[in-house]
Amino acid sequence: MKSQNENTIVFEEDFYNSSITELLEKLEKLKASSKSKILLDFSRTINFDTLSVAIFLHFEKDNGITLILSDTIKKEIAEFKKNIAFDEKRNDEISGIDSLVIKVEDFVSQMKSFIILTADVFHYSFRALFNREGRKEGSVYQQMLLMGNNAVPIIFLLSFLIGLILSLQSAAQLRQFGANIYLVDLIVIGMILEMGPIIAAVIVAGRSGSAIAAEISTMKITEELDALQVMALNPLKYVVAPKMLAMTVCLPMLTIIANMVGIFGGFIVGVLYLGLSPDIFINRAVSVMTLYYWYQSMLKSVLFSWLIVLIGAHFGFNVKGGAEGVGKAATSSVVAAIFAVIITDAFLSLIFYFEF
Amino acid sequence: MTTENIIEIKNLVTKFDDRVILDDISLEIERGEIFVILGSSGGGKTTLLKHIIGLLKPFSGEISVLGQDILKMELEDFEGILKKIGVLFQGGALLNSMAVWENVAMSLEHHTKLPAATIRNIVKQKLSLVNLKHAYWLFPSELSGGMKKRVALARAIAMDPEILFFDEPSAGLDPITAADLDDLILELQKKLGITLVVVTHELESIKRIADRILYLQKGKNIFCGTLDEAKALGNEEIDRFFGWNKKTKNN
Ligand SMILES: Nc1ncnc2c1ncn2[C@@H]1O[C@H](COP(=O)(O)OP(=O)(O)O)[C@@H](O)[C@H]1O
Ligand SMILES: [Mg+2]
Repeated sequence: MKSQNENTIVFEEDFYNSSITELLEKLEKLKASSKSKILLDFSRTINFDTLSVAIFLHFEKDNGITLILSDTIKKEIAEFKKNIAFDEKRNDEISGIDSLVIKVEDFVSQMKSFIILTADVFHYSFRALFNREGRKEGSVYQQMLLMGNNAVPIIFLLSFLIGLILSLQSAAQLRQFGANIYLVDLIVIGMILEMGPIIAAVIVAGRSGSAIAAEISTMKITEELDALQVMALNPLKYVVAPKMLAMTVCLPMLTIIANMVGIFGGFIVGVLYLGLSPDIFINRAVSVMTLYYWYQSMLKSVLFSWLIVLIGAHFGFNVKGGAEGVGKAATSSVVAAIFAVIITDAFLSLIFYFEF
Repeated sequence: MTTENIIEIKNLVTKFDDRVILDDISLEIERGEIFVILGSSGGGKTTLLKHIIGLLKPFSGEISVLGQDILKMELEDFEGILKKIGVLFQGGALLNSMAVWENVAMSLEHHTKLPAATIRNIVKQKLSLVNLKHAYWLFPSELSGGMKKRVALARAIAMDPEILFFDEPSAGLDPITAADLDDLILELQKKLGITLVVVTHELESIKRIADRILYLQKGKNIFCGTLDEAKALGNEEIDRFFGWNKKTKNN
């Protein structure tokens, strides 16, 4: 490009997109320095590309620019205009009450499909107890290793710390009343009924619930689930049932570990801080720890295990979109599973507290 | 401008572990031609393409694109070259989290200073070129395989590249769409003088569009030249590929 005088630029035969940036910068400077119209002379230009045509169109609409175009350009612009003459507005934008209605409807349909999924999963998992057909050899065992065994260290550490801290905070209060011995009741009942099942469930939801959602959603978007289905392998039977069986066994076991380790944390505080003798602590603990509490603890953790698998599977099967959808499914499944676990826990605790 | 070599490859050797994938490939691609890479599956066509666009580093050899040696280049300079080429991947490789128009607009938004309205216009123009006006707001998961390919094509040509690479563009397309795609390719080449490097198995489209072909057999360059020369060569595998023996028997 050549500037004849200040406000006129004359262009050569070629004007490709590589010159656009330079031209735009030049125009900006010109506009800043003078107020009169700028003349762009493209009358000789015959070689150009689509980006150039688009920018000619932009100049055409600019009031500060006078444009002289060659016939070839004019023809291409007409063509270009024909091509872009369609409405690109999205017409499905929804607002106000409608969007609320849609959200509610969406939630209801999600709940419906969750209930159906629950029924199906129980059906197939129960059958899978007695019939190994339609699932991979050793898949339950493998899932147990993955979801149970590998979670032991972290559950060990966290429940020990929580038992320790819970006891320490309460011990300071109990000491004021000389009620040191009740620390044992507090930590035993607190761990077995509440903290143990919850700690185990929250950690497993974070580790395995998200993994289940990610695995199933990936299988869905890569059409692996469809492939299983047309090979007459039911995805619920092949993928979900082994996880369900494994989790039903593992989470209660992890809960037992969390309970015992948490109580051990209390033991440390009782003996070292409150000066209880180990004998007294253990005797008291054994007498407080009735079988009935253990039933409650196990009942809770079995229910939690089902919730975690079912919610993970639900979000996995309902994935939308591609890679991003997988991430969303994993996150939502963890949030929903922890939410469901705590709600269920509160509900069960209330029932047991008042009924029995 | 006609005899300028836009891509030059010298003695290219590729190994994965100890397996030789490309064995001493040398070739030159001229500006403005349609260069077709052929060969049986697993012959190394995709690998060769990946070398030229810088996704893979070869074991040895030289590659120059647009007159510059891309193997001895700083990353920043190579990005300058990348802005002048477009690639259509085998599976489309659209970004799933973005709508169709955003996929097409992406490089325009990041690599040019064009006004937003102009970018929108360009996107619309490219989409109507590939016949996908109605897909403007759709997401990749809502498209069929052929539509994805066409969106990917729109994305590849968004910046008006000087070289366009296609990896099996018509695989998975119906014959009509595939023929339309060929028309489009020919039109692009004629109108914009784009150089095209195409990997394809479609005989029809090879016969229609190819200026020159390269035939790779197990990583070896067994032929490079025009179709007529290939026919005259009388190589057994190439003849089988094009069905040339059969024809002579039948006639
Ligand atoms: N990343 C990789 N690692 C190891 N081997 C590879 C890799 N990519 C391709 N190959 C091998 O290189 C050969 C050529 O592959 P490719 O270029 O994809 O063939 P095609 O001609 O079908 O496109 C094949 O044998 C393939 O197994
Ligand atoms: Mg390939």
